[in-house]
Amino acid sequence: MNYSVMRYILGWVLTVESLFLLISAGVGFSYGDASVTAFLISAGLCALFGLPQVLIKPKNNIFYGKEGFCTVALSWIVLSLFGALPFVLSGEIPNYVDALFETVSGFTTTGASVLADVEVMSHGALFWRSFTHWIGGMGVLVFLLAILPMAGGSKMQLMRAESPGPSVSKLVPKTRYTAMILYGLYFLLSVTEIIFLCFGGLSLFSAVTLTFGTAGTGGFGILNSSAASYSPYIQWVLAVFMMLFGVNFNVYFLLIIRKWKQGLKNEELRTYLGIIAAATALVTLNIQERGLPLGDTIRTAFFQVSSIITTTGFSTCDFDAWPTFSKVILVCLMFIGASAGSTGGGIKISRVLILFKRAKEEIQHFINPRTVTRIRLDGKTVDREVIHSTSAFLITYIFIFAASVLLIALEGHDTSTCFTAVAATINNIGPGLSMVGPAQNFAFFTPFSKIVLIFNMLVGRLELFPLLLLFSRKVWKSGR
Amino acid sequence: MNILNPLSKSDGEFLNIIVVGCGNVGVTITDRLSSEGHHVTVIDKNAPVLKEICSTYDVMGVVGNGASYNVQMEAGVENADLIIAVTPSDELNLLCCTMAQKFGNCASIARVRNPDYAEELSFIRSRLGLSMIINPDLEASREIARLLRLPGATSINSFARGHAEMVQFKISEKSPLIGKALRDLQSSFSVGVLVCAVDRGGEIFIPGGSFAFAAGDAVSFIATPTDTQKFFKKLSIETRRVKSAMLVGGGRLAYYLAKQLLESGIAVKIIERRSARCTELAELLDGAEIICGDGTDESLLRESGLAATESFIPLTGIDEENILLTLYAKKNTSAKVITKINRMNFHDVIAGLDMDSVVYPRFITAESIIAYARARQNSIGSNIETLYHLFDNRAEAIEFRIAEPCEVTGKPIMQLPLKKDLLIACIYRSGRVIIPSGHDSISVGDTVIIVTKHSGFHEIGDILS
Repeated sequence: MNYSVMRYILGWVLTVESLFLLISAGVGFSYGDASVTAFLISAGLCALFGLPQVLIKPKNNIFYGKEGFCTVALSWIVLSLFGALPFVLSGEIPNYVDALFETVSGFTTTGASVLADVEVMSHGALFWRSFTHWIGGMGVLVFLLAILPMAGGSKMQLMRAESPGPSVSKLVPKTRYTAMILYGLYFLLSVTEIIFLCFGGLSLFSAVTLTFGTAGTGGFGILNSSAASYSPYIQWVLAVFMMLFGVNFNVYFLLIIRKWKQGLKNEELRTYLGIIAAATALVTLNIQERGLPLGDTIRTAFFQVSSIITTTGFSTCDFDAWPTFSKVILVCLMFIGASAGSTGGGIKISRVLILFKRAKEEIQHFINPRTVTRIRLDGKTVDREVIHSTSAFLITYIFIFAASVLLIALEGHDTSTCFTAVAATINNIGPGLSMVGPAQNFAFFTPFSKIVLIFNMLVGRLELFPLLLLFSRKVWKSGR
Repeated sequence: MNILNPLSKSDGEFLNIIVVGCGNVGVTITDRLSSEGHHVTVIDKNAPVLKEICSTYDVMGVVGNGASYNVQMEAGVENADLIIAVTPSDELNLLCCTMAQKFGNCASIARVRNPDYAEELSFIRSRLGLSMIINPDLEASREIARLLRLPGATSINSFARGHAEMVQFKISEKSPLIGKALRDLQSSFSVGVLVCAVDRGGEIFIPGGSFAFAAGDAVSFIATPTDTQKFFKKLSIETRRVKSAMLVGGGRLAYYLAKQLLESGIAVKIIERRSARCTELAELLDGAEIICGDGTDESLLRESGLAATESFIPLTGIDEENILLTLYAKKNTSAKVITKINRMNFHDVIAGLDMDSVVYPRFITAESIIAYARARQNSIGSNIETLYHLFDNRAEAIEFRIAEPCEVTGKPIMQLPLKKDLLIACIYRSGRVIIPSGHDSISVGDTVIIVTKHSGFHEIGDILS
């Protein structure tokens, strides 16, 4: 292991976090919050630990996949451990495990909260909560890659570990420019949303925090009612933008370089939009009540569908009170998740597509064992290696999922609670059903269960393997 | 960068370059170009190889046939500044380049190795509108031929169209140079040479006046060919060119080399395993002695007169064989031995072996392409003519042509705020080579050769701190 380069990158992560904390402190200051000192102290601590590491350049820049994965996993852990400090120091979430849960939930863009009443929080803390979504959405390492002129070709390892999807590709030859373009698109889309929200009469603070929640597909709101009390216009804007942030950013890149056809022909995009349309229609039919205007029902259905499939987790109604059929649709969407290369979580549409086609292929082989088949995505053959790693992903996912449900079940809540609590965290959604429904929160869990769920959020955001790698003893042995 | 048009043609800062073919040369070029900061996209038919390259270097890969329109479009040919085709097939390389010019209006470099085309390269180049045709075998053979004309040197790079050369040699135990300070060189030997770099035990020095030579130093100096001869004579280093050469392996490089050697009257003996190739060579090379047999067979080598040959050049396709043959010849003969290494990466091991001259065809190719790319990068004033990497890339020698007045012209060199670890080694002015002192100045129209431990120089202005 090349520890010196890992130390250097972690140092940068902390330095950048210190900067982000300062921004939050600034926001808090402009509202005259009492929590400003807590943010300043946290920023100072980050800088204290981070800056010395940055100043000492690593001995060599060479690192391989192993180092890349471990660095990313450790970065997220360190980021969360320090990100929880302001909540504890300001006393707004006095318990450290609770604060960590809230922070991890923010960075992993989950949006599951332990807070019963978010409206009493200071502006700085609310801003920081939402800001963690925005940082975590595109990823902090990707951000570092965009701003740091690091040498060496292995930078792609970092990006691969942090970006969601079965196979990560570059947009342009240089990793750094790829990262810049991704953040550029992310920034542009976010600004557009802020403008749209401000246009609907929201204050700048609400518009920005809601946008952070949407852009990262996080789901922290600033009102106890999540998004229910906003005007229909705002709800439509949020629903549409949630959907947009769940699209593979490569598609936007193709549109920007005017390869319209290639961009819009994208199979994953079409499936994604198809699923949203179908789910919205089914839910609308299922929850439509006599006397209510159809437009409102469609909006409610579309909002929840868009919110759940992109794994954002905003809500405009308590869908826990919906008929079972609609609830099951939402649970299915939880697992499918957004597109690869988006800011959303879940298993990802492209993986589901590959697995579905693999199942079809297997049936073919049963019919005629000599058939030679190829699995295609966007008309291109998918590497056997990608198919294998996708299957491995699903298997590992199921194991972790089952084990987590088992551990949560120790507390003795009902099946639906245990099941959806894990589903909502590993898929980075936020609200589940029953006791963790959209109108509830995660505060009632024991610290042990919370740690299990924290692990689930991280493992889900980093797509399982980077985090699991940390538990392998072989990785830490000094020899390669 | 421009986010709304991220793929726009490069603004001169970096070039968008497409490399077609991931062989030996392709990978070397990719490595060098991407480490110089260019945006490189690699095309190859072999997906696993491509994947390996993409995870090693900061480049993008496209799987497919590099001459196909769709593949080239996917690699972004519309915005490319340069395409380099180095697939194993000459014809495919030419097709890649001509296609790319039609689609993308970019500069193009093709590798053409087949001796059938060797005579027509400049004709092909101008007719097809290519920027450059590279023939690594031919280039390598030229370098070997130069070394055979001056066997005392371990490497020779030529500048200013051959009017000046940079020669490297090793100081032997009995050399009169030992203990001499650099500033006394002129008074003791009275020749116009300029020592530009010394490799002592793996560390590179750009020496100052008080630098004293020691046995085992590898010294690089710049001089005119005649001054080199004089200097070597005074140091009692062999300056007579070899009279005979024994080549093991009868590939393309051997053919090119044999042809040049025969033209300058050196007796050539080629040992080649395949009898069909022997017949071909016998037909192509009138006057060469072709021996059909296994060149790695000791008794065959002795029988063929290894003991009597003045130079021995193993050119088989297998690097390990070449190295073994070199070591064998060094042990048993006093011949000048030149080793060709194609592929191997164990640089420090190779450097530790007792081999006097090593030639790396792929580096020769990479150097000329990088020189071209750097020249493309700068638009004004000065242009890179040639570039050599010295001592395993730890120093560079660059030849600039000064086309316009700029911050370095018209001032005595001693008044220029030069960077550290940098030397203005030579000025070539209207047919005359000047070894510059502090009072000389650079003027428009000159060709200036600098030696430096920095890298990435694009224009002459980069020499100032």
